[in-house]
Amino acid sequence: MSSTPFSLYIPRDSGMHRLHPLTKLALVGFALILGLFLPGDWLTYLAFVLVILPLAAWAGILPRFLPAVLKTALPIVVSLFLVQGLFWPGGTPIFHLGPLSLKQEGVTFAIRSAGRFIMVISSFLLLTFTTRPDGLMLALSRHGVPNSIAYVMLATLQIVPRFQAKANTILDAQRSRGLETEGNLFIRLRALFPLIQPLLLGSIVDIEERAIALEVRAFGRAGPKTSLLMLHDTPAQRVVRWLLLLASLAIIGWRVYLGLAA
Amino acid sequence: MIQLTNVTYSYPRAETPALHDLSLQIPAGQFCAVIGANGAGKSTLCATLAGFVPHFYRGKLSGTAKVAGIDIAGSSLAELAGTVGLVFSNPFNQITGARFTVREEVAFGLENMGVPPAEMAPRIDEMLRFARLSEQADQSPYALSGGQQQRLAIASVLVMRPKVLVLDEPTSQLDPIGSREVFSVLRDLAATDEATVFLAEQKLEWVAAFADRVLVLHQGRLVADGPPAEILASPTLSQYGLEPTRYTQAARAALGAGFRPQHPDLPVTLEQAVEFFR
Repeated sequence: MSSTPFSLYIPRDSGMHRLHPLTKLALVGFALILGLFLPGDWLTYLAFVLVILPLAAWAGILPRFLPAVLKTALPIVVSLFLVQGLFWPGGTPIFHLGPLSLKQEGVTFAIRSAGRFIMVISSFLLLTFTTRPDGLMLALSRHGVPNSIAYVMLATLQIVPRFQAKANTILDAQRSRGLETEGNLFIRLRALFPLIQPLLLGSIVDIEERAIALEVRAFGRAGPKTSLLMLHDTPAQRVVRWLLLLASLAIIGWRVYLGLAA
Repeated sequence: MIQLTNVTYSYPRAETPALHDLSLQIPAGQFCAVIGANGAGKSTLCATLAGFVPHFYRGKLSGTAKVAGIDIAGSSLAELAGTVGLVFSNPFNQITGARFTVREEVAFGLENMGVPPAEMAPRIDEMLRFARLSEQADQSPYALSGGQQQRLAIASVLVMRPKVLVLDEPTSQLDPIGSREVFSVLRDLAATDEATVFLAEQKLEWVAAFADRVLVLHQGRLVADGPPAEILASPTLSQYGLEPTRYTQAARAALGAGFRPQHPDLPVTLEQAVEFFR
C-alpha cells in the first residue's frame, strides 16, 4: 500500500501547491466555467492550452498530468467522434465508409462536446493532483461546510480501496469453497450475489465501529475546532478568488445573454 | 473514579439483560482488568463506561453509572469524549480515515477539542514516543502493521488525556508480536500509577502481569473481584468458562504428581512460577 492510498495528490514544492485550497478551487472552478460556457467549438481548447496547461506546468506535474488527462478522456472522446460522427441523424456526409458515412454536424458536435469533456476532466485532475484533500476539506469546513459532510467526502476517498480489498477477501474465501467466479459474463454475474451480502453486512459493522471511534475522538463535540494542518492565505489570494468568482459569473451571464438574444 | 451502582442493562429487543445488577468502585490510578467467557458482558461493560451504552446502542439502563463524577446516562457522548477514552479490537476501524499521517491521526481528537496547534505538537510528540511510533510519525496510518495501528489507536485516545482509559480486548485481532507490542505499551501505562485503566481481556497471562485488580464477569454478573494472584489461581475459574494461566496449570499438574513446593501459593505469572518451582 502506498503512503497516500486514498488520494491522487502529487506532493511538489510549487507555487501552485502552496496556494490556499480555496484559491485552487476558484481557479479550477473558473476553468470549468470556461470549459462549459465558452461559445463556439474551439474556444474551450484554447482555454485548456492557455489556462489549464500553464497551471499544471507551474505545479510541476505536467509529465504525470498530461498522460492522466489523455487516458481518462481518450475513450470518451473517441466514442464521441464515432457515435456522433457516424450516427448523426440526417446531416451532411463528408465521406462514405461502406454503409456508414461521417456527418459534418456530428463531427462538429463531437468537437464541441470533447472540448468540454476535456476541460471538466482536466480541471478536476488538476485540483486533485495539487491539493491535499484534507486541506481542501479544512478550508471548506472553515467556510461553513458542516464537518460531517467534509468528513464523509474525505473518508469516502479511502473507503473505496478498503471496500475492494474486502470484496477480494470474500471472493477468495468463496472461491476456496468451490464457488465459480471466473468464466463468461453469466458466471461472473452469478458469483456477485453471494458476495453482496457479506460485503454489505461487514461494511455496516465497520461503519458502526468507525462511528464509535469518531465519537471517542470528540468528533461530535460542539464548539470551535482547531487544526494541526496550517493553511496559508494572503490578501492577494482573497482578491484573486473574488475576481475569479466575478469573472465566472460574468461568463455565465454573457452566455445566458447570448442564448436569450439568439 | 468509576462508580457503578446496581447497573442493569438490556440491549434493544434482548430478552435477558447483558449486565445484571452490577455494583463496582474503581479508585483513580487503578489498573483493573475484567475477564470472562465470550458473551459474559465484558464489551457491554466497556461500552457502558464509555457511554456508548446507552447513548449509542440505546436499550434500557437502570442503576447509576458514574465516571469521573459524570453520570453516564445524564450526559452525552460528546461530553464524555476526552473524559473516557475507548480502544477496541479492530485496529483498522479505529483509524478515522480523514487524516494523511500518523501524527495528524493522533491530532484528530485534539483538533476536535479545540486545542491550540502550538500546544498540540509537544503533546503529540510525547504520545508518539510513548506508543513507540515516533519513526512512523509521517507515514500513512494505513501503512502500519496491526500492532502499530492498535498502538496508534491507544496514542490517539491517550493524547486527549482522558481520566479513564477503557480497552476492550485490544489485542484479540493481532498476531502474537502485535499483541506483545500493545501489551508492552499497556505495561508502561500501568507503571505510571496516574492512569485509571479498565481492560477487558482474554489473555490471562498478560492480565496477571500488570493488573492491580481482576474482575470476573459471568452471564452479565460480577462473580469475582480481587487481586490477580487470588482470582486467577482460584479453582472456580473454569466454572466461568475460563482457562487458568499456563503457569497455574503447570503448578497444579506438578502438585498432582506429588511436587511439594516451598511456597504453596499457585503462580499466575512467570516470575511466580519460577519461585514456585525453585
